[in-house]
Amino acid sequence: MSRRVPLARRYLFGERRRAVLATVGVAVALLLVLVLDGIFAGAMRQVTSYIRTSPADVIVSQRGVRTMHMSTSALPTDTVDTARAVDGVAWVEPIGFVSGVIGAPTGGRQLSYVIGFTPGRPGGPHDLIAGRAPGTGEAVLDRVAADQLGLHLGDRVRVLGTWLTVSGLAEGGTSIVNTTTFVTAAELDRIHGPTTSYLLVGARPGTSSSALRDTLARALPDASVQTRTEFARQEAAVVADMSADVMRIMAIIGFAIALAVISLTLFTATLARLRDFGIIKALGASSGRLAGIVIAQAVWTVALAVASSVALALVVARVVEAAVPTVAIAIEPSGVMRVAAGAAAIGAVSALAPLRRVIAVDPASAFRRLS
Amino acid sequence: MRHVPLVRRNLLADPRRLVVSALGVGLALMLILLLDGLWAGIRSQVTTYEDHSGAQLYVVTPGTLNLFADSSIVPRSAVDTVRAIPDVRWAAPVRTAYTILDLHNRKVAVALVGSVPGEPGGPWALAEGRAPEADDEVVVDSVLADRHDLHLGDAIAVSGATMRVVGMSLGTAGFMTGFVFVTHHATELALRAPDTTSVILVGTDQPAAVRARLAAIGLTAVDHAALRASSLALATKIYGTPMRLMVGVGFAAGTLVIALTSYTTVAERRREYGIVKAIGATPTRLTALALGQTLSLALIGAVAAAALFLGGRAVIEALRPQFVVVVTAPGVLRAAVAGLAMAVLAAIVPARRLAHLDPAAAFRDSS
Repeated sequence: MSRRVPLARRYLFGERRRAVLATVGVAVALLLVLVLDGIFAGAMRQVTSYIRTSPADVIVSQRGVRTMHMSTSALPTDTVDTARAVDGVAWVEPIGFVSGVIGAPTGGRQLSYVIGFTPGRPGGPHDLIAGRAPGTGEAVLDRVAADQLGLHLGDRVRVLGTWLTVSGLAEGGTSIVNTTTFVTAAELDRIHGPTTSYLLVGARPGTSSSALRDTLARALPDASVQTRTEFARQEAAVVADMSADVMRIMAIIGFAIALAVISLTLFTATLARLRDFGIIKALGASSGRLAGIVIAQAVWTVALAVASSVALALVVARVVEAAVPTVAIAIEPSGVMRVAAGAAAIGAVSALAPLRRVIAVDPASAFRRLS
Repeated sequence: MRHVPLVRRNLLADPRRLVVSALGVGLALMLILLLDGLWAGIRSQVTTYEDHSGAQLYVVTPGTLNLFADSSIVPRSAVDTVRAIPDVRWAAPVRTAYTILDLHNRKVAVALVGSVPGEPGGPWALAEGRAPEADDEVVVDSVLADRHDLHLGDAIAVSGATMRVVGMSLGTAGFMTGFVFVTHHATELALRAPDTTSVILVGTDQPAAVRARLAAIGLTAVDHAALRASSLALATKIYGTPMRLMVGVGFAAGTLVIALTSYTTVAERRREYGIVKAIGATPTRLTALALGQTLSLALIGAVAAAALFLGGRAVIEALRPQFVVVVTAPGVLRAAVAGLAMAVLAAIVPARRLAHLDPAAAFRDSS
């Protein structure tokens, strides 16, 4: 029984330390792309958190305003009554939404979305982990922001220039950019002026989100009406579109470094074994077989590097999230697939020069003595 | 006795490998330089509006960190109050906010400025067209207009209102957000916020005295330095961690490329190094050989980095002019220190290999 000798693997890993350096080198270059992709994916998750966890089926906003992040929406007050009268609507909850600053008595300040809602009704914090919903003169802060500002339950916090008392702590509302603070709708009206920014709308049983969206859009022609999923998608698109150029630049640099390392590895591994390739050719191996060895080396290098970069990225994500809780790094399958596809492409490019060398190798070189 | 230039000979033995290695190290160092340059660019752009508003003081909601990220609300009636204060040369209301434009199915975040026609606060330099005068007119940053193929007379939706582009402003591009200018009244209509403004720009030759007088009547005024400091702190909070992470990854990548090249050279030439050891080279000499190799690679990589950086910067600024890459002396120094540190760290693996090399390797066939 004849068994194929795994030449590609042996040549590549014959020198273990070099193989480790090469794999980690490529992995670190890919890590650049993977981590940045993870930072933006994490930011997307954070930015869409409020909407994703909302019980609303449909969200109504000012005409032409389709997002909350970096947006300002103002609805006419009669929109609430008009929406409530629409067939298929189970409930309508107006919320106020303002971007501003929260501050601690010690001087620490943080950028925050301030959401005004009616306690006991939808629109408040999804995960209230301590204390209670806000009452008059009170606010619910996100735990991470409270930690950073050194605030606890019962402490004073300045929200949009007005001092309130911390009544509760919520989870999941702080991102790399800002945090989320909840006050009563009446409190926000008092601090910021009458504010109806968005309507959260629940559908009656048996009414689909899209059907309710269409009915509401007809009843409210001067507003933007979207299902929760559509709204979350629009929110994510803000982060994706803003980050696209930075991501592209970093991806080009990351892949270029990876290209240099893979080229270096394959070229060196091929040159070092040129005599062996000559022997194999002298024994009757076709050019295709030799090319297969080089391609297999490229596949091994890329596969190991991608796997290592994912492992490294997961470790980096854990470490960063522990050290800087506002930064979420989400290593998502789609990001890994993009990096793997990019790595495969540069692996193919890297293999070209060694391929030319092995195909052109002279079988007689096997019988020459190397100096 | 003359030293044999082993380092140079070994490095130059395979020019193609040397070029690829230099490119790898160069790219890593270029990444560090580029991130540093981008960060310097962000710092230079963080107060673009304040730098050109002509105001010495800004009347805002207490605690305001940034004119655009905060929803500062000031009663419009306060403008006349401010104008009546001694030593105030002029005062103008301005609405400032971030908003999202939908252009060609892309979300484009912009800094929206609403000013009163004929008063300070509007676009400070125009490439073409004029400042907005009516509520359905808008001036768009020229870089943003170029990217999205906007021309004078085009219609775009701003906060739900359809507006006609009447001008293109200059020097108003930002790292993530360009500027868009409309009339103050247009923002009142869009935000359903009559009788309010975001900020009152104040022109005065006596900022300290005017600020004290404003505070005495319950109005909060901040100066340029305070706004710059808080805007920088905000930018650092947002971009700091990702920037540091990217620099760290670039540093690790550069170190590994140098280590890989040096180690490969040592591994391939173990016979020559064995001879060096057999004829009496001390461990210090061998470590110096490894270090010399990595330092030489770092130096060649630094030259490549400089060329790559200049080329990369030219390409980025041509294709994406909103990204300003500023070269600073501290930035270059940091990259040089990073290159040196890479070389020292990368020397560890080949130096260990040389230290453990058996001198008898010199007498074995290298095949």
